[in-house]
Amino acid sequence: MDANKNKDRLWKSASGLPLQKFYSESDVPQEQRKRMAADPGVAPFHRGAHPGGYRTKAWRIFQLSGFGKPEDENERIRFLLEQGETGFIMEHDRNTGDHCYNVDHPDVVARREDVGLTGAVMQSVRDIDICMKDLPLETSFGHAGGAVVQHAPFALAGYWTVAKHRGIDLARLPGTGQSDFFLTYLGCVTKQQVPTAAGLRFNADIMEFCDKHLPRWVPVSIAGYNGADTGLNAYQELGALFANAVEYLEEIKRRKTMPLENAARACSGVNFRASMDLFEEASKMRAARLMWVQLLERRYGITNPKVANLRIHCVTAGSRMTYQQPLNNIVRGTVMALAAALGGVQSLGVSGYDEALSIPSEHAHQMSVRIQQILQEETNIQAVTDPLGGSWYVESLTAELVERAWGFFEEIQDQGGFLATLDSGWLHERAAENQSEDFRQQESGEQVIIGVTDHKDDISPFEVDGFMGVDDAYDVALERLQEVRRTRYEAGAGKALSELEAVCRNGNNIMPAMMDALQSEVTLGEIGDVYRSVFGDWATPIQT
Amino acid sequence: MKTAGKRILMAKTGLDGHWRGPTVVAKALRDAGFEVIMIGMARPEEVMQASIDEDVDLVGLNIGGHVDVAVRAIGMVREARPEVPIFVGGVVPPHAKRKLESLGVEVYPPGSQLPDIVAAAVRLTGAA
Repeated sequence: MDANKNKDRLWKSASGLPLQKFYSESDVPQEQRKRMAADPGVAPFHRGAHPGGYRTKAWRIFQLSGFGKPEDENERIRFLLEQGETGFIMEHDRNTGDHCYNVDHPDVVARREDVGLTGAVMQSVRDIDICMKDLPLETSFGHAGGAVVQHAPFALAGYWTVAKHRGIDLARLPGTGQSDFFLTYLGCVTKQQVPTAAGLRFNADIMEFCDKHLPRWVPVSIAGYNGADTGLNAYQELGALFANAVEYLEEIKRRKTMPLENAARACSGVNFRASMDLFEEASKMRAARLMWVQLLERRYGITNPKVANLRIHCVTAGSRMTYQQPLNNIVRGTVMALAAALGGVQSLGVSGYDEALSIPSEHAHQMSVRIQQILQEETNIQAVTDPLGGSWYVESLTAELVERAWGFFEEIQDQGGFLATLDSGWLHERAAENQSEDFRQQESGEQVIIGVTDHKDDISPFEVDGFMGVDDAYDVALERLQEVRRTRYEAGAGKALSELEAVCRNGNNIMPAMMDALQSEVTLGEIGDVYRSVFGDWATPIQT
Repeated sequence: MKTAGKRILMAKTGLDGHWRGPTVVAKALRDAGFEVIMIGMARPEEVMQASIDEDVDLVGLNIGGHVDVAVRAIGMVREARPEVPIFVGGVVPPHAKRKLESLGVEVYPPGSQLPDIVAAAVRLTGAA
């Protein structure tokens, strides 16, 4: 490699911000210099959500997990908790879950070997009960699944129904939903899903239901990650995430069914991606907290610090994990986790080193937990809050990301708002531009990926072959589906399903009827059929 | 290169919906002069039917799931259009890659560079 190549390089951040050789006080905008005087834990919060930072509470080790049958997923979750994970995420099978299909749907049957590959198959409350066996629902922090908007009401109602059966008071149940538009309306577009307007209604219904019955539950969590890993850069991820939050807040404002402050609090647990540009990503987390304060104050007059204090879950970029020389990904996971921790996130998941090959093996999962434990316990990183605060470089980057992100936010508003940019494919175009640019830079040598574009020799004695999962997920799911149909109280299930359909049509809150449906052992595919008949399908704006 | 008039069918065997990879590849192939017909998430029999209806010179499959679904699609295309070559990209772990290569299918896992994929399409369609 050319030893002089750095001299001629055009230095810029991953999102394309030009970078100086070094930064001085005069490079930090006046406004940002004023903000630097604020302590962590007070508005505008860019320096951190809590004054005590990780001394008050270590970040939550929170890994995506799930595959196979519900009992396989349960075993993996319990393994992770034993390894030191401090929350758990219940992934549902994507073929069935994302589409609200049962396993006997023709589109699933045609791909039966795929079933259970990316999450456990859960078609009724019985399956969810198996997956949740012996999990510490009250003392840990659970993600119920339902990352996908149309799937969330089912996944949440299932989790809550099982919790109720165990005698837990829902008013005391901690945990989180997700219902993320970025995931299937931008990133991995499902074959069929409800139109965005119906999805917005579901999310607002969940927010209202939690406001009444589950005050400790995070009802929705906007996942900028899914936008970023589709191609949006750091400031686009920020701008789009807050444009999404505005959709939720405007919907609640229109409904007048709950105080807007409560709605803002319901939206204040979000998710960002941490990728490889260490300082830009750390600055992005600081920028996000600042932007939330600005958005709430300027647009809604909300200044309550309990609401304006953004809480961030972060996931390291799966797309940056390489197929080639997969052990290098342990280093990448560490660097991205470090960026998140330096940015002061509350919760973190590190992608498996085998991410580009398969879902995580048990060992890859263990390494994702170990990376976080090593950072927490061996590096002293938890001792001091906002360790990058006051760096002229980081303060300047933070301010510039905020400025550019508001610019992108305004572009989205000019397009008619966040959901309009999904419906029209405008946001997909922005992501696609960046994808192509990434490939172009790899070809031209501007972007180097070790083991992929350069240094391709691999002498590792460890063969990483990808996790195989189990091969009986489909067969068992089919048997269990038939058993539910055979043994449930059919009249009760039929009545609950009719009631759900009536509510879908009349516009009342969907969640009480969804709770009844799960309690009555209505299955996922039956609920999906109701959605499809009432709401129809989203017109996908892109060709895949 | 005589890529003009050469037709490539692109399909996803899984229901996972990731469109980044196939879209970037389709753009590179179009830029090289190929006609690309994208049918998105398709069942094995739909892939086979499209390979006939669209009279394609090459089939590209994107895999996001289990290799056996792709193997079924490959078998059906082979039976209907034995002369049409097939190449595959996506999340293909080494064990799946070995299986596909044993069937005479070229595999382009994550990290593959676009010029290599385009070169393969040129070679496989005889457009060189």
